[in-house]
Amino acid sequence: MTDGGLDTPGESQSGARRTDGPAALLPPYREREESISLGTLDEQPVSGTEVDIDGGPDRETELMTINLGPHHPATHGVLRLLCTLEGEVVRDIKPLIGYVHTGIEKSCEDQEYWKAITFVERMDYLAYYFNAQVYCMSVETLLEEEVPPRAQYLRVIHMELNRIASHLFWLGTAALDIGAITMLWWALRERDLMLDLFEMSSGQRLHTRYFQVGGVFEDIPPGWEAKCRRALEVMPARLDQYEALLDENEIWLQRMKNTGIVAREELLALGVTGPLLRATGEPWDLRKAMPYSSYGDFQFRIPVGTVGDNYDRYRVRLAEIRESLKIVEQALDGLPEGPFITSNRKVALPPRHELATSMEALIHHFKLVTEGFRVPPGEAYSAIESPRGELGCYVLADGSAKPSRVHMRDPSFVNLQSLKAMGENSLIADFIACIAMLDPILGGIDR
Amino acid sequence: MPEPHTPIDDVITVQRGPEPGGLGGAYRAFGATLRGLRTTLGRVAEKPPTYQYPEEKTPVYPRFRGRHKLQRFEDTGLEKCVGCSLCVAACPAECIRVVAAENTPDNQVSAGERYAAVYEINMTRCIFCGYCEVACPFDAITMGNDYEMADYHRSDLIFTKEMLLADAIEKTPLRREGE
Repeated sequence: MTDGGLDTPGESQSGARRTDGPAALLPPYREREESISLGTLDEQPVSGTEVDIDGGPDRETELMTINLGPHHPATHGVLRLLCTLEGEVVRDIKPLIGYVHTGIEKSCEDQEYWKAITFVERMDYLAYYFNAQVYCMSVETLLEEEVPPRAQYLRVIHMELNRIASHLFWLGTAALDIGAITMLWWALRERDLMLDLFEMSSGQRLHTRYFQVGGVFEDIPPGWEAKCRRALEVMPARLDQYEALLDENEIWLQRMKNTGIVAREELLALGVTGPLLRATGEPWDLRKAMPYSSYGDFQFRIPVGTVGDNYDRYRVRLAEIRESLKIVEQALDGLPEGPFITSNRKVALPPRHELATSMEALIHHFKLVTEGFRVPPGEAYSAIESPRGELGCYVLADGSAKPSRVHMRDPSFVNLQSLKAMGENSLIADFIACIAMLDPILGGIDR
Repeated sequence: MPEPHTPIDDVITVQRGPEPGGLGGAYRAFGATLRGLRTTLGRVAEKPPTYQYPEEKTPVYPRFRGRHKLQRFEDTGLEKCVGCSLCVAACPAECIRVVAAENTPDNQVSAGERYAAVYEINMTRCIFCGYCEVACPFDAITMGNDYEMADYHRSDLIFTKEMLLADAIEKTPLRREGE
């Protein structure tokens, strides 16, 4: 297979090393890449295919290995899928990742704790509030720092708005993959409502660094609550419009129903969480199972599906938007008064007006900005429910002002494993629909 | 670790919708399509949510973090920056460079003892987190409203002190109250 004239001496050396070293040490992706030889693809049929009388490969039964991506609009990022096709049927899928590896986890080790927030936000770039929340939760656990109730509610409001924005972006792009282009315009229009709210409260539409260790950066400005309530009023009617377009659309039904079914047990064995798992009927939601950031105060339901096909995944996510709207409304109604960040001056910056009057505040300000705060040695793992499933963050502290290790358990990365189970032995068009319904965010997968 | 929650009352099962194909499918090919058409045509009367950029600039909120600006005292015209380099310490992207120098009676640049002889921000690295603005104890560096910073050469995106002290050529509008 490797005598296609494309081999370099370096590669044959690695091939020689393969015979004496244990096979488990070799990177499997290298083997996969070497198993395709572009030079011989036309002359030699791939093993397992029949050869017709003329000596050429039989186009009907030939297994063809193609690359889907890394630059393909249907992969929602730079995901490379090595697909083995038999005609129109996908027989094997190998996801190859790493094309947007940013080294964020490693970079965090070189930053003070408060600066690392700006880094972790950029992993899963559609769920930045969640990344910041889970990282701050881990650091707060290590510091044994209490978050004031108002900050917890503000965090819940922003996270749920972020969940709506993320689901809307998913809806627009997923429907676009199926060919429903109106959904993209509509979903992005409503997503803009959420982004406007983020810009108003924190100053940036994406990557807001609004969540800080011990609370949120600043209080919501006057008029924010009214604007948020206006957005909440608009949303149900807009969701009805989406459903009027999609729910009973014959094309949508044909493409979504009974495609990409994976059994609940298999998803559980693969560690899949989030809407994918809930579509099979498993009501696993960390907001209910292990309430954090005062999620226990709110009344909401967990939408679950029955079959676990693409249609259930679509309905579950749309129902989740409605539940999120309820949570935001309850949080706005019950928003407690009080501080929005901890009063511990060793962790949180002093209020701006104190800098001109208090020497102590100025010293704290200088210490925090130049050195950051020190975190006692230890390790902490926290997990929250992101739009895509369980988002975990592990922080290892060594007593200095910089984390010794930051690791994220990103749901996109784990969920990607189920792509093979979803798309195997289905038509390639259904496979594209499966990728769309999986909702992978490559920034989170590669980190 | 709290007990695992078994949410029996909190679960809502989503509807399955009709099965595709068959007679219903033939009906839906027309019925549901007409419903969709009615939904989209009903939106014709709505105002478009888009801005005619670049003729009409997207307004920003007061807290928006755009292009940086170095401030001066309005009355004396002296620079507020005293070259303390706190913004350099706070920057996660390491895009700020400050070289401080002493004020002399002949050359009084800032209100303090020292001033920033060099103040550069590399806009290709800046992530607009605003930590510099937060760190500055003198309100000398602030994040403005301008977001149009594209240029043809990377070297033009290293903003010098003179560029940061000057106003942007075109001002970005702020959102009106209640917009």
